[in-house]
Amino acid sequence: MLRKFGFPTIAVTLIVVLAAWWTRISLSLSLETPSELKTSRIEAAPMCPWREPDADLRAFFPEATRYETETRILSGLRVELADRLGRMPTAEENALHLYRVFREQEPIGTILIRRVKGEYGAMEIVLAVSQNAQVRGVRLQRSREPESVANIIERPSWLNAFQGKEVQDKWVLGLNIPEVPDEARTSAKAIVDGVRSLLILLDTAGNPNAITTRSHHP
Amino acid sequence: MIRLAFRNLAGRPLRVALTVAGLAVAMAVLVCLSAFGQGYRRALGSELDRMGLQLMLVPLGCPYDAAARVLKGRTLENSLPESALKTAQADPAVAVAAPLLMAAVPRPRENRTDMWVGLDEAALQLKSWWRVKDGDRWFRDPDSVILGSEAAVIEMRAVGDKLYSPEAGQTLRVSGVLERSGTSDDSLFFVPLVTAQKMFAQPGRLTAIAIRLRDPGQLREVTERLQRIPGAQVVTLTEMMGTFLNLVGAVRTLVTAIAIVAITTAGLGVFNTLLAAVLERATELSLMRAIGASRLQVFALITTESILLTAVGAACGIALAVVPGRLIENLVKQFIPFAPTESLLSLTPPVVLQSLALALTLGVIAGIYPAWRASRLHPADAAKME
Repeated sequence: MLRKFGFPTIAVTLIVVLAAWWTRISLSLSLETPSELKTSRIEAAPMCPWREPDADLRAFFPEATRYETETRILSGLRVELADRLGRMPTAEENALHLYRVFREQEPIGTILIRRVKGEYGAMEIVLAVSQNAQVRGVRLQRSREPESVANIIERPSWLNAFQGKEVQDKWVLGLNIPEVPDEARTSAKAIVDGVRSLLILLDTAGNPNAITTRSHHP
Repeated sequence: MIRLAFRNLAGRPLRVALTVAGLAVAMAVLVCLSAFGQGYRRALGSELDRMGLQLMLVPLGCPYDAAARVLKGRTLENSLPESALKTAQADPAVAVAAPLLMAAVPRPRENRTDMWVGLDEAALQLKSWWRVKDGDRWFRDPDSVILGSEAAVIEMRAVGDKLYSPEAGQTLRVSGVLERSGTSDDSLFFVPLVTAQKMFAQPGRLTAIAIRLRDPGQLREVTERLQRIPGAQVVTLTEMMGTFLNLVGAVRTLVTAIAIVAITTAGLGVFNTLLAAVLERATELSLMRAIGASRLQVFALITTESILLTAVGAACGIALAVVPGRLIENLVKQFIPFAPTESLLSLTPPVVLQSLALALTLGVIAGIYPAWRASRLHPADAAKME
């Protein structure tokens, strides 16, 4: 009788356990969203996605065969970051999301994505950094700037000026980054500051105190 | 008696645990259903009340789809002429007629759609619950934009910042950022009506007109009058609410049937457990009879065991309902029309008490036959079995 009655009940119990487990996951996800929104300030934008990985890999790392997603937790390095950035790190800078690019097993560079405050709306930067920590390329994957501004800051000749630069270089618009007309200056400066901040975060992320999590993408 | 019943149940922990688990799942489903039904009605009612309007004037088409789209901040394919607004405003029974123009700007590369909403000042009377986090509650000039809280975060905009719409070629200045409300307003870009009409090349056109009446008792008469406006149709929010409740009710009936099957199965489980226990404990029960226990006392003992079993199962089921209830709510919200933003799960004392009462009744019914079998045992059977 126990056997007759027990099997369906065991199945139901298993379903309950699975449902509770699933619920726990969905609750933990749903709990994260409001707290992010509550704490978000205007300078701390939500995580920016990498919108066109294939196209960017072809452009910046044509030899790449795969990439890995990596997250470096930098909250334990806020003092060092504040010192290097020259300001307090924002909430989003507590973690750095990296896309490590590989040719087979050999690491060949890193892609970083950042949302910055343009003059007319948010802009999203794609930054490619080679293994020797030099900028390999910069692209704007999204912007709301008017055509007159967009034509300047998305011009290849201006974006190519970032190539070969390193974190310790001077990052001054008009000095070692070509000057732009006044109408595009605010947005151009946001890009320069965004790229510099990303390079500092990347450099700091090499600190052994930064915690790492990884996932693979063929 | 209760202590003895407890001891008897505790002597078969695995069987009792499995029975309780089966019962708990069935009860959890039932409790969730009851709580969801009440919660949806309450949440929908309060959301419609909060809007402070009784009617929506929308272009011809499916009225409920149109009204739901407008209320959730989505665009319609058709539009109304501005003359419909004048007609509505001229009606003596209309207290507020607020025009809306909505435009959806898809951004496939970003996997999102910018929703622009053009409003005039009449909207303020309907959106009395609007709370501004920063800046002004209304547009400073025609080139102003008020952002929902989420839109401001995504676009990294603060009051005074510029915001450019590449699609419309329009530069706007942020005059206010709304507090997070948990509604679709959070992700919207609000602009003056005239600006929206200019930006999206819809001069003199409207997506909908939200109407509040001086006296809601005149709903029927006003609806008949407004229905005569060419190209427009009227949707009353009470109709909408009724339709949504009917839709949800149909689904609920189906799921209730499943819950009844689950409860019946769980009841049979209790019956089976108790009957097995009575048969296994025949000697013990006969001995009880031999040392002076009456038939009624034996009957009461088994019935108490049955009630205890179902009470524990019901309690576990109610506790279980709280957790999967949220999961079910999240799933259900994706499919039901015009899902209210507040919680749909209303686990009120009446719901809990009703469920407990049902469980106890089930316990009594499931225990009758095993208790009767137990009470029929003869004291002499004890000696025979020995």
